[in-house]
Amino acid sequence: MRLAYWMYEGTAHHGVGRLMNSMRGVHAVFHAPQGDDYVTTIFTMLERTPGFPRMTTSVVSGTDLARGTIRLPETLKQVEAAHKPELIVVVASCSTILLQENLEITAQSAGLDCDVLIYDANPYRMQETDAADGLFSELVQKYACTQPLTPQPSVNILGPSSLGFHARHDLISLRRILKTLGVEVNVVAPWGATVDDLRRLPAAWLTIAPYRELGTRAASYLHEQFGTPALLEAPIGVQPTLRWLEALVEGLNARAAQASVTTQVSLPPLTAFSLDGLSAPSNVPWFARTADMESFAGKSAFIFGDATHTVGVTKFLADELGMPIVGAGTYLLKEADWVREQLAGYVKAEDFLATDEFQQVADRISELRPELVCGTQMERHTGRRHDLNVMVISPPTHIENHLLAYRPFLGFDGADVIADEVYTTCTLGMEKHLIDMFGDAGLDEVEQAQPVASNGHATSNSQAHVAVAQPTATATASSSASATATTSSATTVVNPVWTPEAEATLKKVPFFVRNKARNNIEKYARERGIATITAEVFLAGKEHLGA
Amino acid sequence: MPPKAQFIREDGLYHSFCGLVSVGWLYQKIKDSFFLILGTHTCAHLLQNTLGVMIFARPRFAVSLLEEGDLSAAQPDIAEQIEEIKREHKPSVIFLLSSCTPEVMKVEFEGLAHSVSTPETPVLFVPASGLDFTFSQSEDSVLQALLPFCPEAPPEDKRVVFLGSVNDAIADDFMLEAQKLGIPVAGFLPSNHFHELPPIGPGTVIAPLQPFLPKVANLLVNERGATVLSSLFPFGPDGCRAFWEDLAAHFDLKVDLAEREAKAWERISEHTALLKDKKVFFAADTLLELPLARFARAAGANVLECSTPYINRRFHARELERLEGVRLVEQANFERQLRSMADEQPDLVISNIITANPLIGHGVVAKWGTEFIFSPIHGWAGVNMLVGLFTRAMRRRAKLDAFELEPVWTAGVMPSMPSGEFRL
Repeated sequence: MRLAYWMYEGTAHHGVGRLMNSMRGVHAVFHAPQGDDYVTTIFTMLERTPGFPRMTTSVVSGTDLARGTIRLPETLKQVEAAHKPELIVVVASCSTILLQENLEITAQSAGLDCDVLIYDANPYRMQETDAADGLFSELVQKYACTQPLTPQPSVNILGPSSLGFHARHDLISLRRILKTLGVEVNVVAPWGATVDDLRRLPAAWLTIAPYRELGTRAASYLHEQFGTPALLEAPIGVQPTLRWLEALVEGLNARAAQASVTTQVSLPPLTAFSLDGLSAPSNVPWFARTADMESFAGKSAFIFGDATHTVGVTKFLADELGMPIVGAGTYLLKEADWVREQLAGYVKAEDFLATDEFQQVADRISELRPELVCGTQMERHTGRRHDLNVMVISPPTHIENHLLAYRPFLGFDGADVIADEVYTTCTLGMEKHLIDMFGDAGLDEVEQAQPVASNGHATSNSQAHVAVAQPTATATASSSASATATTSSATTVVNPVWTPEAEATLKKVPFFVRNKARNNIEKYARERGIATITAEVFLAGKEHLGA
Repeated sequence: MPPKAQFIREDGLYHSFCGLVSVGWLYQKIKDSFFLILGTHTCAHLLQNTLGVMIFARPRFAVSLLEEGDLSAAQPDIAEQIEEIKREHKPSVIFLLSSCTPEVMKVEFEGLAHSVSTPETPVLFVPASGLDFTFSQSEDSVLQALLPFCPEAPPEDKRVVFLGSVNDAIADDFMLEAQKLGIPVAGFLPSNHFHELPPIGPGTVIAPLQPFLPKVANLLVNERGATVLSSLFPFGPDGCRAFWEDLAAHFDLKVDLAEREAKAWERISEHTALLKDKKVFFAADTLLELPLARFARAAGANVLECSTPYINRRFHARELERLEGVRLVEQANFERQLRSMADEQPDLVISNIITANPLIGHGVVAKWGTEFIFSPIHGWAGVNMLVGLFTRAMRRRAKLDAFELEPVWTAGVMPSMPSGEFRL
């Protein structure tokens, strides 16, 4: 047992939910207490889903347990009636798995027409990534069946999924590349795939599975079972993308030869991959060589995340931007060996970190104080606490990773996105450096400047006087319009005085609206000719203003 | 005896969180506390996703994580973790919360809490598991655990104790309002600090501020002989008037707040004009639904349905009276709610956070119910905020609707979404 404050990976049932919410015409049913339904929120709020995520919690309550009631068959009937899925995947929760019920028999008793799969995901042995990938492999094995190859060269793209890191954007980037090559997309899965799409997987000439976390197992199965070659590298960075393209073309042509098809795929001029078809496919090679980027020569980076992004980004920073790597690691313990192997030559053995405890990562970061931290949302937080520059490069995602604009990590487009992110993150570091050297440059003190202005006419509160001492210099130095305005209004209008009691009441208003509240109450008092703001006046004013 | 309120009980196949989410406000309210959940990876993941924990890397709550090897142990050993918590956070009190897995394992929580409790730092057991508790309900459990630490008040100590956690600004409002009416105040349960708990005895009048605390209210009557105010909850002009008049009556004060109520309604007339005759459907899970629906109805709305996880006939008696004729549903079925919404086409749905975006995606104007829990909507000062929460979504939508949301604008957003599924 240990104290857990924050988890990198979600639970097994979250992994199942991610997979089911990636596909069409399928549904997950969680045999679980009501609280386990929280995972639904992650989809509706982070991905802002306009539809209902494909998951239902078949609630198990204490009363049910006491009475021996099992609601699962009834839930399955309701889900089938309401959603008409082709497949329902049932999974137990961390608590219900201890009941050792036979869910196969229970589910059968519902007598459904659709397929029902009881997914054996032990939440004590399996977390989000493993559960999602395991289920995906199981579904591919269940449904994929022998198909004639498509007449034209085609690929499957395995891996993009709901709540995947910039998954939608990566998929767009891959589609753009394939279109430029003249290669068709046979099936994308799990993203948007139906059960029928899984059946059609073996029709592709080749499978692309760029994410170590999801899809590589299924891609390997397709290779073994149907002879579909698999391209398992992640095209992160310009050089890896070029190598990936060559491997793709080679693989497709080899498959053509094998199947005695004459159609050949060839690499067009690289400018064809740019957005306008006329320019460099990526600006990174030139950007990295500019004088501007000389400032990056000595900047050190620490990278931590899942397997795919940690490896891809570490190599990109070292190989393509020339940054020294002071450490890297992953929270995916099962992938730690693979990541370590991939990063041999980039990270010294003692600088490699494999842990799923964020405190250890935080300690390492504060020890190293690198100039760039690439990590998850948790490292972003750690970096902020230590005043370090952080960019998020890996799941788990946060609402800030679900931005609207096109921001892939894969392909040429992805290389530009990552380089821009590094540049803007670190440039701020330069400015911050100047600020630290030459004073505050008037950036930090806006919040404190206002109390100074109002303090001039406020009270004899000794605490308030202390507050004047520090920010005065800033307030006078800064030409902040708001500070000036407040000061001038303070000199022209007779201002009400706050009693210590009222002042104390005001302190309870959250700091970010406190000044607004102060101004509003003073305005309220002035309008009524009230000279002293007591707690009573404050309350009446607040009520009047409705704030 | 008033006629027994009628409500429908469905099968509870709806979306909700478990009682652990109460920790989100309780750890902030009781400033010298620590909340330790004996649970699993699921509990930890729930907390970080529903409470946005990642913003605070070391909050005053944590999960004592049961891993596979711990499942066979008869009684988990948390002594070391309690020491770690004391060392790092120095709390005055530690709440030990149950969750589903240890409940299934039949962990004996009372004994476990007792074994690590010391007079300096009591460790109090709080039942909160999702098997039995939903959303705000476990605040009830926390307050029950605190009760033995409230000093005994002598019978002649006739004062009010406000029941339920509210922020300091609201607490001040209630203090001042009580003073103005001449009602003596003994304090708040919970208080901001463990050692500031109010004295409670046979002379105490308990004034519930939150509608999800029936069990602790009952316990206060049974164990301390206190009187529980039976009134409306202090939400909205109608609720506030009833609350304060009824409370004053317990202190033999005759107070007429008719004018105050009228003025409060007058002040929000712009909002109520918008709410008038609008069809409002409550499908949230915070347990605030009954008083909110009562207020909406008093404000002129046509409340189509008020679903809420649990209804307590005695604790909610006065609210239920005012909701007569409204379809009241306990333990709703979500698919049925969707069908009802499709039939009745509500103008506004008060939903939970889980379903808000999908409902909006289906053309519904939805307001996320949890916002009511996190906003200062109590008392006279909360009236504008309260009504504003109802009207804001409608006003915004009215503006945005100039631009029709055709299916093309949500294309590709959600991989599992079949095309054409946009209307209920």
